Amino acid sequence: MVRIGFLHSLLRLDEKLLLDEFARRRNVEVEMIDDRRISFTLGRPAVAADIVLERCINHSRALHALRLFEGQGIPCINSSAVAAVCGDKLMTSIALQEHAVPQPEVRVAFTPDAALEAMEEMGYPVVLKPAVGSWGRLLARVNDRDAAEALLEHKTTLGSYHHSIFYIQRYVEKGGRDIRAFVVGDECIAAIYRASDHWITNTARGGHTSNCPVSSALAAVALRGARAVGGGIVALDIFETPYGYLVNEVNYTMEFKNSIAPTGVNIPQKIVDHVLRAAGANP
Amino acid sequence: MDATANKGPCPICDGEVTLGSGTVLSEIIHCRECGCQLEVKALDPLELAEAPAEEEDWGE
Repeated sequence: MVRIGFLHSLLRLDEKLLLDEFARRRNVEVEMIDDRRISFTLGRPAVAADIVLERCINHSRALHALRLFEGQGIPCINSSAVAAVCGDKLMTSIALQEHAVPQPEVRVAFTPDAALEAMEEMGYPVVLKPAVGSWGRLLARVNDRDAAEALLEHKTTLGSYHHSIFYIQRYVEKGGRDIRAFVVGDECIAAIYRASDHWITNTARGGHTSNCPVSSALAAVALRGARAVGGGIVALDIFETPYGYLVNEVNYTMEFKNSIAPTGVNIPQKIVDHVLRAAGANP
Repeated sequence: MDATANKGPCPICDGEVTLGSGTVLSEIIHCRECGCQLEVKALDPLELAEAPAEEEDWGE
């Protein structure tokens, strides 16, 4: 019997599809771990699980819970190290840079004046992003100096402290679409195009999905990006440019419900296979 | 953990919410009448609550 700790909060269709897939497997027991109800005592096991699969919505809870489970000797997918890198866009960019994975130009500054100077040097438009955040939330395309000054003042005045870490990315003209590539272990299992009339193409913001054939070049850059952040089960947002693929972001609690139909790939099945293999079981 | 055609009032609009047979604890569902997102807090007896609002570190 393999015991899976299923770390979650709210259960969305993605989580239900995973739970349904686990339920179809023999000799698998799933223990639900609600991050809103669990508490940890350092030095004492919180759950009896062979492996924990993380499906939280809150990055902060996921990161800390994963580290606590690992401290109890329980392997986790993804690891807390992967969560720490992917949950922070600056840490992701550093990891991609250190592994020579192509990405849009990134600059970082810690004061509004330094951020403004960096934007002026880069040339407009640029994209100002919170280091921690998802679903396209609080992204700003900055088209000129006036907008830059206003945004920086707002972030400094209204934002919490981590909004004063100014993460500035060169704006990439992506022709109305980007690619979401899904990596499970050592395989790029599927990819979709996300298209939108808006410059933000996240499906959480209304982007439309269609199948993107996984070419060898796309798989190669996706796997390089995944390895750069520590591997596991990740989804990479990738731009197509005349100079080749650029990895924009890497997500460690990937949402996939809208990608099964267009790709024809049973993504939850692939994830569950990987988790069971990692737990030492035969999927 | 599964519910069986459980029914209960929406905590927002008081409309009737019917759960499917595969509904599980902590699942997010929609009220057909008011469109609000609800969380299944308990299955027997059914208890629904307004789903929590999106937080700054929510995401993938």
